Amino acid sequence: MDPVRAPGVYAGVANVIAAVMLLLEFGMLRQALVRDQVRLYMAQSTLISVLAIVIAADRNLPDLYALAALSAALKVVAVPLVLRRLLPRSHADGVAGSQTLSPASAVLAGIVLAAIGFFCFGAMQIHGTAGGTGGKSTAPATALSIAGAMMLVAFCLMIVRRDVASQAIGFFSVENAISLTALVVASGLPLILETAFLFDLLVAVVVFGMLIRAHHARAESLSTADLTRLRG
Amino acid sequence: MSAVPIPVIQLLQVLTVALGAPGVTGVTARVEARLQGRRGPRVLQPYYDLAKLFRKEALAPEQASWFFLAAPLIAVTCYLTIPLLIPVLTSYGLPLGYMGDILGGGFLLSLASFVVATAALETGSPYAQLGSSRAKTFSAITEPVVLFVVFTVALLTGTDLPYALAATVRSSAGQIIRPAHLLAAAALFMVILHETGRIPVETHTGTNEFGMIEEARAFEHSGPYFALLKWGSGLKQLILFTILADVFVAPWGLASTQRAGAVGLAIVALLAKACAVGCVVAVIDNSFAKLRLFKITEFVSGAFLLAVLGVFTLYLGGG
Repeated sequence: MDPVRAPGVYAGVANVIAAVMLLLEFGMLRQALVRDQVRLYMAQSTLISVLAIVIAADRNLPDLYALAALSAALKVVAVPLVLRRLLPRSHADGVAGSQTLSPASAVLAGIVLAAIGFFCFGAMQIHGTAGGTGGKSTAPATALSIAGAMMLVAFCLMIVRRDVASQAIGFFSVENAISLTALVVASGLPLILETAFLFDLLVAVVVFGMLIRAHHARAESLSTADLTRLRG
Repeated sequence: MSAVPIPVIQLLQVLTVALGAPGVTGVTARVEARLQGRRGPRVLQPYYDLAKLFRKEALAPEQASWFFLAAPLIAVTCYLTIPLLIPVLTSYGLPLGYMGDILGGGFLLSLASFVVATAALETGSPYAQLGSSRAKTFSAITEPVVLFVVFTVALLTGTDLPYALAATVRSSAGQIIRPAHLLAAAALFMVILHETGRIPVETHTGTNEFGMIEEARAFEHSGPYFALLKWGSGLKQLILFTILADVFVAPWGLASTQRAGAVGLAIVALLAKACAVGCVVAVIDNSFAKLRLFKITEFVSGAFLLAVLGVFTLYLGGG
């Protein structure tokens, strides 16, 4: 039997970047300290900017360079900075015992969810239009499936953690997964729409920041376990 | 230039691994020492060690049966059989190369480690038994990782022959950069760190029995038998490095003809590649701390994640 045909170098690079982003998502899932999670989020955001540049170069979409710069400025610099400033000093390292599952079990749960993501997105058979003028290549299907898996793993991160800061990071990385999907499927999307998505993220950062602050002021902790007592 | 007969090349594969293994261990130990600011032992030290041990008398515990002394011989025989099955010097399959696939090589590796563990159980020494019990426990949890790496290879090439994967990797740049291949190679590298008893799992130079896994199994052996076990672990290391380099990461520099020059170059290339992998391992050795025993599952779950994602991207994602 002949070897499985490789999708080509461009699609390979895009897929590898997406796969590394998914691995970083798993890293956030098992990382105990919020500080390190923020670092992983920064790395993931850097990668999505790199991916935007790769796609821009391959498909002749100059808009995407601007988008890459904007998203790097926002997600690699601004959001982590704000997030670090917002964390109360006493909780800069996160909440002890915020993990409801052991790291190994969390990773196994993540693998199962990733499988569901891969399966669902694979079954949809989406082949994005290349967009742009130089579009010879179609959308890398693997990167799309990886984006689906990443979204579910990010949800898993929000579910298995009990502290507000980790949940916020999970939410922000869901946004990263959505950006990845947008880049892969519809890279020809008008710049204004992509920018609007980015500003959505800013709103989320402000809202989460206020939640973290308010919760800490009320409960003297970041743990959402304190909220169960609020039931009427 | 004259052509080397095929059986001779096949014999050279075994001899290269057999004679090169202590050297690769020596180079790795030297690099590791230099990175720590020590001068380190000479590169040939492992050969002198083996020569010294082969001249010493052999003692065995009173209660131990014949199997205790047979085990090192069986283990080394297994290790010397594997170079027949994997691409060591040539990019084309040699006649005996098809008598076993990747799983066959895997079975031989596990058979060797099984007989050594069984021999350690014969001794009644608590540390040797602790070591073999731990080695078996942890090799059971790395087994799924190896299986998923084999699945990736099978999905990529449609066969489970190491020669086929090496040829696929050589065929185009797209085959190298696809995520499935990179993830499987990374997972295999983590398994190799585990199997050769390197730092995130075990300190291979340590003298603290409680942290030992593989090292503790040879405690009761002495003389030539101990030499065979030490040589065996060197062989296992070189075989695993060869699989990583010649099959997954860098299947270049192999002889594609029977010419003597090409074969000679392939021997040098193989040893250079193995030393390069050894240097990477030495750097990792110096930059991380040893994991607590019960954290090893987390290390293995990381490797498992890489291997499973490799299969997913290939089977469900199409990349």
